[in-house]
Amino acid sequence: MITFDRVSFRYPEVALPALHNVSLTLLESTFTLISGPSGAGKTTLLRCLNGLVPHFSGGVLTGRIRVGVLDPVALGPEVMCRHVGFVFQDPETQFVMDYVEDELAFALENAAMPRAEMHSRVNDVIDLLDLGPLRHRSLATLSGGEKQRIAIAAALAFRPRILVLDEPTSQLDPRSAREVLEALNRLNRDLGLTVILAEHRLERVLPFADRLVYLPAAEAPVVHGLPDEVLGRIDLVPPVTALGKALGWSPLPVTVAEGRRFCEAMPGETKSGTDAMLAYSHRAGVSPSDRAGVSPSPSSCPAINGGEGADSDRPYSDRAGVSPNRVGGPSPSSCPTFSGVVPTLVADGLSVAYNGKPVLRDVSLSLYPRQVTALLGRNGAGKSTLLKALVGLVPHQDGSVWLSGRETRGMAVADVCREVAYLPQDPNALLFAETVLDELHITLRNHGMTVEEVDPAPEALLENLGLLHKASAYPRDLSVGERQRAALAAILVTQPRTVLLDEPTRGLDYDAKDRLLALIHRWRVERRAVLLVTHDVELVAEAADRVVILDEGTIAAEGSPADLLGTPVFGDSQLANPFMPQIARLFPGTGWLTVADALASLPSPPLT
Amino acid sequence: MHPLSWFAWLGVASLVTLLTRNPLYIVVLFVIFILVMDVERVSQRASADGGGYDGAPSDRGLPLSPLRFALFAVPAGAVFNLLTSHVGETVFFRLPPAIPLIGGALTAEALLYGAISGLVLVTLFTAFAVLNLALPVRDLIAYIPRAFYPVAIVSAIAVTFVPNTLRQFRQVREAQAIRGYRMRGRRDWLPLFLPVLVGGLERALQLAEAMTARGFGGGARTHLAPVARTSLVAGLVGVLAAGVAQLTPAWASAAPLFLAGGALLMGAAIWHAGRGLHYTRYRRPVWHSVDTFVVVASGIAVVPLLIWADSRAYSPYPALVWPLFDLRLGGGLLGLMAPAFARRFSEHSDDHI
Repeated sequence: MITFDRVSFRYPEVALPALHNVSLTLLESTFTLISGPSGAGKTTLLRCLNGLVPHFSGGVLTGRIRVGVLDPVALGPEVMCRHVGFVFQDPETQFVMDYVEDELAFALENAAMPRAEMHSRVNDVIDLLDLGPLRHRSLATLSGGEKQRIAIAAALAFRPRILVLDEPTSQLDPRSAREVLEALNRLNRDLGLTVILAEHRLERVLPFADRLVYLPAAEAPVVHGLPDEVLGRIDLVPPVTALGKALGWSPLPVTVAEGRRFCEAMPGETKSGTDAMLAYSHRAGVSPSDRAGVSPSPSSCPAINGGEGADSDRPYSDRAGVSPNRVGGPSPSSCPTFSGVVPTLVADGLSVAYNGKPVLRDVSLSLYPRQVTALLGRNGAGKSTLLKALVGLVPHQDGSVWLSGRETRGMAVADVCREVAYLPQDPNALLFAETVLDELHITLRNHGMTVEEVDPAPEALLENLGLLHKASAYPRDLSVGERQRAALAAILVTQPRTVLLDEPTRGLDYDAKDRLLALIHRWRVERRAVLLVTHDVELVAEAADRVVILDEGTIAAEGSPADLLGTPVFGDSQLANPFMPQIARLFPGTGWLTVADALASLPSPPLT
Repeated sequence: MHPLSWFAWLGVASLVTLLTRNPLYIVVLFVIFILVMDVERVSQRASADGGGYDGAPSDRGLPLSPLRFALFAVPAGAVFNLLTSHVGETVFFRLPPAIPLIGGALTAEALLYGAISGLVLVTLFTAFAVLNLALPVRDLIAYIPRAFYPVAIVSAIAVTFVPNTLRQFRQVREAQAIRGYRMRGRRDWLPLFLPVLVGGLERALQLAEAMTARGFGGGARTHLAPVARTSLVAGLVGVLAAGVAQLTPAWASAAPLFLAGGALLMGAAIWHAGRGLHYTRYRRPVWHSVDTFVVVASGIAVVPLLIWADSRAYSPYPALVWPLFDLRLGGGLLGLMAPAFARRFSEHSDDHI
């Protein structure tokens, strides 16, 4: 059993405590999820378990912590590492060696373990996590999910009874994240390993967790207990729980599987949840495409047929059943258009290779004003490369890129980016000025622009982004969400018509994600074209007008969110769809993607 | 291949490169090292592809390819020597002797000698690059004296840190370009340098934390015992005395004795310090017949250069002459191709298992 008894902690030279009077008990052999907004102290709490706080961090800790009978504050990480394995957010920052097997043995070598014992332990963790095929591989050649599994295995080499993980899936695509979480689940169920995991994306982890700890912001008391009990007491919850709350389901569903039980229990002719809900929605006289009332998934669309001034409200997929990017058979000498409307940015038959290895093959994609396009795909599918190729950071071997009707060949990246805002995965790379406001002025100066030329002015833009109160703050001192918005401000100050976002929800809590969602909606209203590369299917469900799926460098599917995210299989392929949001999995085939979609279509309250 | 056979190959490769200034032999060596490197790289890529992941190329890649380094080092060496060495009969033109260092005759001989020196540097760089590519970090650490283990780990991390830092620099450069940033002068490097520096420090801190969480630094500390400390100081004094004796005719004959004694005492101090540090090795490298082949073949490469020393010598001074190429020496150098053949042989054997 792990106990925190009135634990408070303050980092050196920081006025506010990171933990304030935390008291909680974590049971042995459980799978505990730690959640809470950014800055609530999740990472600090985890680091208390192996003594990194305060031994590595410094600072002042008061109260009492016990891990079983051990006192991590007294023993420190050198001793606690044998009892508590620790896995960090980014596996690449924790690797010392360059090959899998050597990395697994590293800690054991340092502990002067006999060679035979080392081999036995390395073999054990390889078997436990099914790493046989990776055993002799170089770490540099592994995918993100594989690297994280190696990091977990390395943490387990000492055979600890407790495994602590700090946002281990935040950088992984849904399938890789699931592989990691299933591995953890096996360790928990089969070996009784206590798993304590911090994560923002509750919907990913809740199916595996049997305890939930919610660390609120400020100095409010910690909420902990069974997941449905805790979720009933907090506001920001996964979609299936939010729907359950709205419909008065009790006990609250935590997972899609639990939600389906309510569907099956509903009155109707069929037992199947899917059929039942379809029957229900038909009976209620509503259809997903109506989406009346409550704000549904985005249905506003770009001007296609009638020019920029004639925006239609019909769903994108209804537009003559044609996707705009291929229409008209673009000739090399002219920019591809659709019925006279010039897209803001077009990739036409783009092919990119790294060291002779094709990464993108014949990719065509058009971005239109007032349209949010989501680009989905597994890690390594070529999504980030496509964004870089669009702004000219990566040269393309074949095809062309068109910006507002002009081909970008020969244009400097800086010139392209005056009209295209591109937010890379790591916004830290953008930030180097003394203050947030300086970041905006530097961008303007880079482009040879003055403050008078832009509307809104830098201060007004910061206010729009909720950052005006941080205008004079040092950018790297901001929270993850604030840093991301500061980086956005730095690239949006030139008022570009196209916005490209690469994994914008990485590391964001629900609150920061809601702010981002509001921004995306605002950009749509401001007639900007948005391309969103993300693994966050819930964000796509909320924000996108159109979905493009990239697989091994080619566009595998393209269509409306309802078509691509709402069905359990891809088209005629019978391949399982890994991109379904929770509501779509709860009501497959209905086309409902968000809580608002479901509530708009279900007369309330249909079930109790 | 066994790490020791790689070290032997590197020793011979370096020795052979330093023994001659004949540009023809140096070019042959450079081509041989490039070929060995290419075979090694292809082989490593094949094993990576066999894993089925089409990820980024290995992080162990060099920050600078040998060919690109040659494009810089050879002309730079030539120009430097042209400007600073005023020996030779083929004079291009003369700078006023009043100009310090570069004043005097600028000759074709100096230009050629500088280019050869640049080529020697590039060839040595390539030989070390082959070793960097071929040996995993563990093997680089394993043969560093036990007393230096923490330093070895830090060095190993530095080896992997360089490519990471270069990658981060690329990210920052891209990030600044998308904000409209254009490089114009030296002062424009600051916005690139600062995020790389700050990011590098952040990553160093993350790695230090991860290593602490895995118990690194928790073993027995190296405390230099008084006897070892005395031995180290005495050894240093011995080495210093050897240097002084070498300069003093009356004591010159005793210099080797001082040197050997000093080295012995320092070695003893290091050995003693290493005893206090406890760690074990996961792997025990196995010596195969291909290792014997590589060591023998590499040894064969150096023998002709030692026997026919006149044939290896070349100097463009005082007047330009065409370098001679002795087939016995050139053929011997092919022995340094042994790792490439060994790699092919190993793969072939694996195919038939």
